[in-house]
Amino acid sequence: MDPTTTPLGRMLLDEITPVVMVLRTPLVEEACAKNGLSFIQMLSPFCSFNNIDVPVRTSSDQPYRLQKFKLRLFYESDIRQPNLEVAKDRLRKVITHAGEKDDSELSLDPPPLSNILAGSGLDIRPSWFEFVNKELINTVAFSDHEAFDHPVACLLVVSSKDEQPINKFVDLFNSNKLPSLLNDGAMDPKILKHYLLVHDNQDDPSEKATHLLTDMRNTFGSNDCKLLCINSSREGQMEHQDSPWSLYISDSSPGEHLGHFLNIDDINEIKDLMQEISTKQIIPYMEQKVRVLNQQISATRKGFRNQIKNLWWRKGKDETADSPSGPTYTFSSNESQIRILGDYAFMLRDYELALSNYRLISTDYKLDKAWKRYAGVQEMMGLAYFMLDQSRKDAEYCMENAFNTYLKIGAAGQQNATRCGLWWIEMLKTRDQYKEAATVYFRICNEEPLHSAVMLEQASYCYLLSQPPMLHKYGFHLVLSGDLYRKCDQIKHAIRTYRSATSVYKGTTWSYIKDHVHFHIGQWYGILGMYDVAVKHMLEVLACTHQSKTTQELFLRDFLQIVQNTGKMFEVLGLQLPVIKTSSLKVIYEDHRTYASATAASVTESFWHSLEEDIVPSLPASRTNWLEVQSKLLPKLYKESNICVAGEAIKVDIEFENPLKIPISISGVSLVCEHSASLDAVKLNFCDNDADANDPTEPLEDVDKKLGETSSSISQFTCSEVNLSLGGGQSNLVQLSVTPKIEGILNIVGVRWKLSRSVVGLYNFDGNVKKKSSKGRRKTKVSSDGDLKFVVIKSLPKLEGLISALPEKLYAGNLRHLVLELKNQSEISVKNLKIKVSQPRFLSVGRQEDLNVDIPSSLEKKGNIEQKGVSTNQKNVSQGVFHFPEDVSIQAGAPFSWPLWFRAAVPGNFSLHTVIYYEMGDASSGMKYRTLRMHYNLQVLPSVDVSFRIGPCPSRLHDFLVRMDIVNKTSSESFQLNQLSSVGHQWEISLLQPVETIFPSQCLIPGQALSCFFMLKSCQKSLATEENLSSGSALPGHDVRLFSESSNAVLFDISCSPLADFHACERLQNGMSIQDASDKVDFILISRQLKGESEHGISEPPHLFSHHACHCSTARTSPISWVIDGPRLRQHDFSSSFCEINLRMTIYNSSHSIASVTMNSIDSAAENGESSDTSAVISGSQAGWYDVSPVDGIKVTSDGLGRTGDPVSPESVSPFIWCSSSSVMRQLEPMSSTEVPLKICVFSPGTYDLSNYVLNWNIRPINSSQEDSYKRHSSGRSPGYPYYVTVLQSD
Amino acid sequence: MASTACFMIVSRNDIPIYEAEVGSAAKREDAAQLHQFILHAALDVVQDLAWTTSAMFLKGIDRFNDMVVSVYILLNPLYLPGSRITSSHFDTKVRALARKYI
Repeated sequence: MDPTTTPLGRMLLDEITPVVMVLRTPLVEEACAKNGLSFIQMLSPFCSFNNIDVPVRTSSDQPYRLQKFKLRLFYESDIRQPNLEVAKDRLRKVITHAGEKDDSELSLDPPPLSNILAGSGLDIRPSWFEFVNKELINTVAFSDHEAFDHPVACLLVVSSKDEQPINKFVDLFNSNKLPSLLNDGAMDPKILKHYLLVHDNQDDPSEKATHLLTDMRNTFGSNDCKLLCINSSREGQMEHQDSPWSLYISDSSPGEHLGHFLNIDDINEIKDLMQEISTKQIIPYMEQKVRVLNQQISATRKGFRNQIKNLWWRKGKDETADSPSGPTYTFSSNESQIRILGDYAFMLRDYELALSNYRLISTDYKLDKAWKRYAGVQEMMGLAYFMLDQSRKDAEYCMENAFNTYLKIGAAGQQNATRCGLWWIEMLKTRDQYKEAATVYFRICNEEPLHSAVMLEQASYCYLLSQPPMLHKYGFHLVLSGDLYRKCDQIKHAIRTYRSATSVYKGTTWSYIKDHVHFHIGQWYGILGMYDVAVKHMLEVLACTHQSKTTQELFLRDFLQIVQNTGKMFEVLGLQLPVIKTSSLKVIYEDHRTYASATAASVTESFWHSLEEDIVPSLPASRTNWLEVQSKLLPKLYKESNICVAGEAIKVDIEFENPLKIPISISGVSLVCEHSASLDAVKLNFCDNDADANDPTEPLEDVDKKLGETSSSISQFTCSEVNLSLGGGQSNLVQLSVTPKIEGILNIVGVRWKLSRSVVGLYNFDGNVKKKSSKGRRKTKVSSDGDLKFVVIKSLPKLEGLISALPEKLYAGNLRHLVLELKNQSEISVKNLKIKVSQPRFLSVGRQEDLNVDIPSSLEKKGNIEQKGVSTNQKNVSQGVFHFPEDVSIQAGAPFSWPLWFRAAVPGNFSLHTVIYYEMGDASSGMKYRTLRMHYNLQVLPSVDVSFRIGPCPSRLHDFLVRMDIVNKTSSESFQLNQLSSVGHQWEISLLQPVETIFPSQCLIPGQALSCFFMLKSCQKSLATEENLSSGSALPGHDVRLFSESSNAVLFDISCSPLADFHACERLQNGMSIQDASDKVDFILISRQLKGESEHGISEPPHLFSHHACHCSTARTSPISWVIDGPRLRQHDFSSSFCEINLRMTIYNSSHSIASVTMNSIDSAAENGESSDTSAVISGSQAGWYDVSPVDGIKVTSDGLGRTGDPVSPESVSPFIWCSSSSVMRQLEPMSSTEVPLKICVFSPGTYDLSNYVLNWNIRPINSSQEDSYKRHSSGRSPGYPYYVTVLQSD
Repeated sequence: MASTACFMIVSRNDIPIYEAEVGSAAKREDAAQLHQFILHAALDVVQDLAWTTSAMFLKGIDRFNDMVVSVYILLNPLYLPGSRITSSHFDTKVRALARKYI
């Protein structure tokens, strides 16, 4: 690569060229000013030569030809070190100007990175960088330590109009206006002079000028004097095609014609003049000087001897001069001479010569510690290496060395370091070492923020251009640069850099980076008043959960501030604040299913569905639903949509979450809906929506329109509005509703809200919601886009209902009277009401006349038991569904009440579901019927725990002993026991002891446990039982008073409506059919809470409690029971004969089957041992009995009470024999008994245990259904139990 | 000496999956974002360097002013790309180690 064609090469050929100092009189300038140019401006286009082809001979004998050459012209006043402050100010202006100029793209999105990378990359770099860099280089021009800026020649210019031009020439150079460089000894004041006379052809004919030229030539020598005639064009109308000056004068106004008095002859004259000065004066002069200096230096410095001498000399000098800036060198010093030689050689393109001289001087300066000069020489060495295109490493080393040295000397070297760095960078760029170039840019940065900003930005482009592109660094340096631009109020530049950076950080998950970039660029756009873009960026940082609280506050405040400044309401699709939890979305709507409360709506549909199965009319065909009537008329879309009723609200539950740590306020939360009257319109709207969803930033104008419709007078639906404020990290479930007003199709599109009353956020459900739990839906095959689409049908009556005064918490067994209240707001009446309760144990529907009854007085037993209204409602209840009387219809506005009975059946937490079915009075309406779903939660606390144990009375076959264990499980309540009733005709219950003995205190205090015994007498006759049971409904019973006579309490009638109904439920609950109950007994314990709960300060009558124990078995361990009857004591004279004793065994079959019983007597003593096995047999059969599931909460145990006899002691056993046949077999009809005569023979006096017999029984089931229940008892073997007979010897 | 440090784990595609500000110096408000910028920028160097060396510890591969970036390049075969490390136990351990050694 030819170094001269590289950017650095061109730059050097441009910058490091001989300087010509121009001294002129004011009249010269005056003549030039006619053309709108200064004198130098007029000459400068003709100072660079691309093809002068001058032979040059420097050190070597072989001449070479110089093609390109350039002169730099400066007025004497400009030849001095530029004022740093002025330079900086100029730079600032340039940069500001550049920022103002290209702000057209400021508001646009940055081009994607891929585009930048695909392109050359150069075009994205602002063009003004080059200019700024040049300015920076120029700030260190005319320094005293470098010779290439020192004027090589002096051009003295005098106008022909000047008085005494010859004297003027002398005066010009002798004036004390000459640059300090010449005066302070930094350069040789003996300088090549050239004298130029400028003649304005407009003023005078040129004869005078030629005359003057002759005078000049006589005075200053013929070669050094020239005449320049200008302004030959008298009209001043010269138009110059591609004016040569336009390149040089940047700030000319476009309308102005430069050089309009200069005709082509003038221009050619100038051209010739400059070429002549260059080739005939300056180049030969420089050649000459190089040759002279080279000889001189060779003589003094080249060669080994000179080197040693030089070294020696410098060592000595070292001790004397040690000023901080290093020693001073005058132009005549050896060092300066070498430097001049080097620079002249450089300018004449003899880089080899230049380099050797720089090298020579470099060590000298280093030894002298003249660091600035050393650095300057190193810098030139680097450039010379570069221009020679050899040893890149050396070139870079020199540049780095120079750079570091400049930095080392502190502030004085700062500007030089910058220049050196810029050259170094150009060198690196030429070699595609962009990454290294970027680090140099980074190192050029200093305290000056604007300077650093420009450098950092350039560094960032270097990273972008490096291979492979270092995008991370690119972004980082852009941000660094942007921050500095902002620091010096260059906002447009700051935005430009950040805008580029956003393309790097697009979609980044580095949260702090993203926040920083978007927040700042947003802020700056805000400062510029470009609020729309500002808001766009600010939106990105709103959901900054990771930031600290103060930062979040700052973000939100600035965002709102900018939004306020826009003065308009922004609608943002997908606003991040607050976060909407889509999973929480729940739609509740009512078609034929209506809900009494929100909790009712939250119960799963399948549960309601199963509950409703019995009361809703069955569907005529398999795949049709209740809409069958309309579905023939309505299109398919309707069928697949959800149905809602005009005038009834659709509720949507959504959860809003505040992701920030600071509170936010949200207002006007409402649903966004579309309503259309026809099917086609809906389809169209759906398409529109999809299109909108593609561009989330675009404000939704059409939504606006729709919202506008809602506020207009012909509103098709109304939406509820909710305001809420969310604390930090808080989330709130919001219920929104939309109420369609007229028929058609309603589509819920999304939700909108207003953040801090200034930004409208929109969220589209469409597409975002795939998985949601819409509770109100029954159909599962609904397509997803139809989830939020509703077919609105004509307004219908709708029942509202509640169960008044249903307590949430109560004690088990509590019996209450409640009222169901229904209301119908519509004009149309409803009829054919049905009700079904999920827990009939808890709730039963009363009769109309019960509406105003009083508990407990209504339940009291009235003198003679009349069979009033025993379960009258049985006929209305079928399969748990209660049908209201035919004549019941609920009219508009009229409240409707119906009594309910409530009993807390068992302790625990329960949900009470009730469905009320009703039909429309108006047959023309869209739906035939609707259901009202009610749901209540109850907590039932344990109150009194009752259990019964029943055992057979050992002495009587049909009597039983009942033990009632009762525990008060409450912690604070006392109960007064009222009565215990046995249910059914076949049982009579009586107390064993008087009531006062059992309950001295008359009440059961908390925690108290009590047992008491009753006698239960079975008075059943087999046939009577059948009869009773077949009637089924009646609940006759027998009561035992558990209060003292003195108290004013009365017995309650267990056969009247609520008690009997609940009892039936309890029985059902235990899963036994009524028929099985012949040997089972039910008990009802009725108690009262002693203190009336004083709710609301009103003392209520004591609550009534009923406890039901069902199916308490009276069954023995086996279906066969027997009693041995006979004498217990006998006197006999054994001397005469043995004693015969007659006994009678009564065997009873308590089963429903025919039993065959065999009684085997065992005589042998050896078999006696078997009787000790009895316990095992008993326990075995007990286990079988326990398998019958016990009643909830009430434990009933039947035990063989008679079996607890002492084991027979072996000593007392003395021989006796059974006399009758050893095996007796009998057939027993169900529920019948038989007698077996027995006889024993006793041979000696004593006490005998007659337990050595065994009853084997076998039951033949009557029908198969009973087989299961008696499976274990189908056959068995019961050992005898003790019966003692004492025989005494009679005298 | 008060020091400031930031520890990050970055997964494929430059996704940060764990970050912890450690060090004994008082927390500056903008420290977190500066650290992120520096570490993010250092990824360029890491990406270049990772393929040229077999070392897993790359000490001081990048610097910004007085802050030095050192990198461990590790590979977890069980890692599910894109998931963040949210274990509080891990966080506690990292901070405890930081207190001990920094």
